Amino acid sequence: MENRLLLKHYNEPGYHTLDGYVKFGGYTALKKALKMKPEDIITEVKNSGLRGRGGAGFSTGMKWSFLPNNNEPRYLLCNADEGEPGTFKDRYMMELAPHQVIEGMICSAFAIKSKKSYIYIRGEYYKPYKIVEKAIQEAYKAGFLGKNILGSGFDHDLDVYRGAGAYIVGEETALISSLEGKKGQPKLKPPFPAVQGYLRKPTIVNNVETLAAVTWILNNGAAAYRKFGTEKSTGTKVYSVSGNINKPGVYEVDLAYPFKDFLENECGGMKEGFKFKALIPGGSSCPVLTAEEALKSTLDYENMASLGTMLGSGGVIIIDDKQCMVDLLNVLMHFYHHESCGQCTPCREGTGWLEKLTSSIGKGKSQLDDVATLDKVARHMMGTTICALSDAAALPVVSFLSKFKDEFEYHIREKRCKVKGNCHAQAHH
Amino acid sequence: MPKLTIDGKPVEVAAGTSVIKAAQTLNIPIAHYCWHEGLSVAGACRMCMVEIEKNPKLQIACNTPVAEGMVVHTNNDKVKDAVKWALDFHLINHPLDCPICDQAGECKLQDYYMNYGLYSPEMNQRKVKKSKAMSLGDRVVLDQERCILCSRCVRFTTEVSKTHELGIFNRGDRCELSTFEGRPLNNNYSLNTVDICPVGALTSKDFRFKQRVWFLKDFETLCNGCSTGCNVTVSYNQNGVFRVRPRVNQEVNGFWMCDEGRDIYKHTNKEFRLDQVIERNDQVGGAAVKGKPVALAIQEIGKSLSATVKKGGLESIALVVTAQYTVEEYEALFELFKNTVKSPHVYYWKNNEEDFDSFDGLLNRGDKNPNTKGLSDTMTKFGFKGTWEDFEKQATSKSFQYVVVAGPEDQSAYPDLEKKLEILNKAGEVIWLSSCKNEKFKNFKWQIPMKSFLEKEGTFVNFKGIKQNIKAGMSIIPTSLSLQEFSKGVFESMGGMA
Amino acid sequence: MSVVKRPEGKANWYLPGILTGMMITIKHMIFNLTHRKQMITIQYPEERYPYSDRFKGNHILTVKKDGSLRCTACMLCATYCPAECISITAAEHDDPSVEKYPISYEIDILRCVFCGLCEEACPVDAIRMGPEHQTAAIAGENFIYDINKLAYRSGLKGGVQSKVDDEERHSRGL
Repeated sequence: MENRLLLKHYNEPGYHTLDGYVKFGGYTALKKALKMKPEDIITEVKNSGLRGRGGAGFSTGMKWSFLPNNNEPRYLLCNADEGEPGTFKDRYMMELAPHQVIEGMICSAFAIKSKKSYIYIRGEYYKPYKIVEKAIQEAYKAGFLGKNILGSGFDHDLDVYRGAGAYIVGEETALISSLEGKKGQPKLKPPFPAVQGYLRKPTIVNNVETLAAVTWILNNGAAAYRKFGTEKSTGTKVYSVSGNINKPGVYEVDLAYPFKDFLENECGGMKEGFKFKALIPGGSSCPVLTAEEALKSTLDYENMASLGTMLGSGGVIIIDDKQCMVDLLNVLMHFYHHESCGQCTPCREGTGWLEKLTSSIGKGKSQLDDVATLDKVARHMMGTTICALSDAAALPVVSFLSKFKDEFEYHIREKRCKVKGNCHAQAHH
Repeated sequence: MPKLTIDGKPVEVAAGTSVIKAAQTLNIPIAHYCWHEGLSVAGACRMCMVEIEKNPKLQIACNTPVAEGMVVHTNNDKVKDAVKWALDFHLINHPLDCPICDQAGECKLQDYYMNYGLYSPEMNQRKVKKSKAMSLGDRVVLDQERCILCSRCVRFTTEVSKTHELGIFNRGDRCELSTFEGRPLNNNYSLNTVDICPVGALTSKDFRFKQRVWFLKDFETLCNGCSTGCNVTVSYNQNGVFRVRPRVNQEVNGFWMCDEGRDIYKHTNKEFRLDQVIERNDQVGGAAVKGKPVALAIQEIGKSLSATVKKGGLESIALVVTAQYTVEEYEALFELFKNTVKSPHVYYWKNNEEDFDSFDGLLNRGDKNPNTKGLSDTMTKFGFKGTWEDFEKQATSKSFQYVVVAGPEDQSAYPDLEKKLEILNKAGEVIWLSSCKNEKFKNFKWQIPMKSFLEKEGTFVNFKGIKQNIKAGMSIIPTSLSLQEFSKGVFESMGGMA
Repeated sequence: MSVVKRPEGKANWYLPGILTGMMITIKHMIFNLTHRKQMITIQYPEERYPYSDRFKGNHILTVKKDGSLRCTACMLCATYCPAECISITAAEHDDPSVEKYPISYEIDILRCVFCGLCEEACPVDAIRMGPEHQTAAIAGENFIYDINKLAYRSGLKGGVQSKVDDEERHSRGL
């Protein structure tokens, strides 16, 4: 069953305006938070077990507590640079409930004693940008932002910043570089952003969904949040589902929800004439699961990790039997080749090599040992770079090859596609 | 002071030191391209992977600070495999230009391939093509295909020269090093980018295609281009000197030197040198007589000096010195003048007075002499105080019989040379000691070929008072003399008068 | 020490030896006069013996399709040359895809030991050793072969082309 905590009022008309939002209990969390001690808010979030919804799944409360205990200015950045292929939940949340995110941000900023925060929004998201910008103006007018918020003595300013459309800027240090006006490429760690981030000051970067969840947690308490999900994966998660299913879209369900039920109930099952073949559970950089594995899995961090993949950003990509895996991998490799920032050598050169290999396999211009080369190149790209983009490119390759090797070998041996459907890789040939 | 173990060897270094530096103190080589001691850490080449115990992933040695009890392995199979692959990623799109690449022979890609690679390449796809032989400025040529994007040069222009001409544009394997629009790489430190380039992407226009590096021999000396006294390595072979590169000395020049200093070798090569004695023969109407053996010339000079001393007393012989010789040479010459010639007329010839004290903030100084401090110290030691102004006052007309001039080695640093030569000629018969030839010297009585700074040894004292030695690295004009040899010869032919 | 001991008496009798030798010479002379077509001796320099293509004779610098030198002036031949008889001066080419080329390439043919290491060192098949072996000249300076002589001497008929195709290699980025 869908369990709408965050998306509860999304169908109400006008929920994206301040009036609509306040009508359904908006900004109560902020009022509550401003009366609490900042440390207590951090403890509350820690107790809720909320984990970062951007992809890594790191405990949010824990992240906040890494801030050094000093008087330096701090920054809170909302990562709305949603670029992971297959993920579109943040756009949906910003378009329909911008105030929920803004409220979460003000509460979080109060908790970490930050006076300035930014929403870094993806350049392509023009409509959400306009909506968020308008919502911020409304919040300023209503006194939720600016000097002395609601008479509490807490000052906070919030700005929205449009990116230029680079996938890599979704990585937090690259986001900081971009926001600083530099080329959007990741920085070396250490120092970590919590110690030296934006403008070399302590900085916290959180995902849109995470900040929206903070609002809910402050409204309803950590204990209420923990009722959903499992011990380690608490609460609900918003998924963006795509593929040849009857009802693609954004859904919020409890963590640890069985995927089989999710596919059949929420997604309305496969479209007629298509058979479920494989699942990418959390956006394109997560290793693929076969239908068999996927149907036994539950959607939570631990179960996915035990299957060798990740829940990631919740971009559920459902692959059917008419899809050619070689073609799909080639498309993914084209994406990562295009998006590599070019800073670290293994990623800069490796992503290009992977794309060239998958493309020549697709066109039937390869020898069988190219499959082994593909695997070797991918494995040697893993864990060798500043950020995780080279892993993100390599993980799908390794999992595609280990689970669907026959399709690759068929392409090479027979010089045509095994599934015969819409194989672009071969069509180029 | 954390203690750690690298490849089984214990070492204790200051907290905050990176693993790669700690390994350096133990002389354990760690492969690297982007890391350079004089620049910030980029961590981009991923070559310096090391295994640190209790760490699941390999770490880069350049950005990992040492910690107490750390156990580092730099040479096990896991590390070797990682380095081999990092190298392979560097090489897959690198062109096979080695035959025409100037860096071949001192290229880090070649070196590490021999140490860590030696595989047969698996890359059978088309390579990425980029621009070749692009001129970046007056002195530097870029080959974008050869560039491994280590960003050393970019960091140099940002952090050291602070001129910000270079940047890496575009993303992924389309990344290209280039200059910003309308900002060519023309700063006075641009050739340092060529030195720090670990591959053949940046090459020097001056050195380009002149020699293969394996035909060159190196020796260490000092730059004599200005009073900073940068430590340099000179590359030469039987055909002459081909390039000058900086050598690390944290007290003097750090890792760098200026482009101006790299041209100092030019006036030492044969074609610019005074390679024989030239005498003005008044009996044949002042025509130049060339090729008299140096020893004979010195003897004649000695005889005429001693004759003058006997005849004319104190006022008859003057000495004018430039600050381009070594301390030892000044001592020998002053010794001769104080004790044998017994003339108090010793004058210091200061050049380019207007910008003499200028400084560009990094290394280059307006004082274009390597030994100004050494000269003034030695003059004080011998009690000589004369300056050029004093000389000019004295030298109205033929006030001296002879004027011995220890002239400049690098004439380009003496912009008003011609004007001063006139004054010298007016003052008396000039005995000109210099390593360089010049048509304008034709009125001089004697021209004696001197050694350039590459051919003699001695001490230069830089502007800070740091004493540094130059070495006799090569012989270019075999008949040329140092001032010591000149003084000794004159002393002996003057009959050792005391 | 080994000493050859000849029988004393016979060694003094040299006339029989000379006569035996003369017999052989005369026999061949008569054979040659009667069988002129089977004669082994050739009438050099009017007639010349055709050597194999692999004969290590005078050097040839190969040319590209447009007739320019293939040589990139990498100086590997000069580096390997045990006789140090090759001297090259490189220069920058106007075409950045060629980049470096020799403006002078000289082989001191009298110093050359015809070992063929230059041929083996060459990465681009630019220098070969050809079947020519006549190296006569009147003046000493004519023994220093320059580009004109090495690549375009009349016997080469406008230059020898290599079979390695540059354009194909360049387009594949190899």
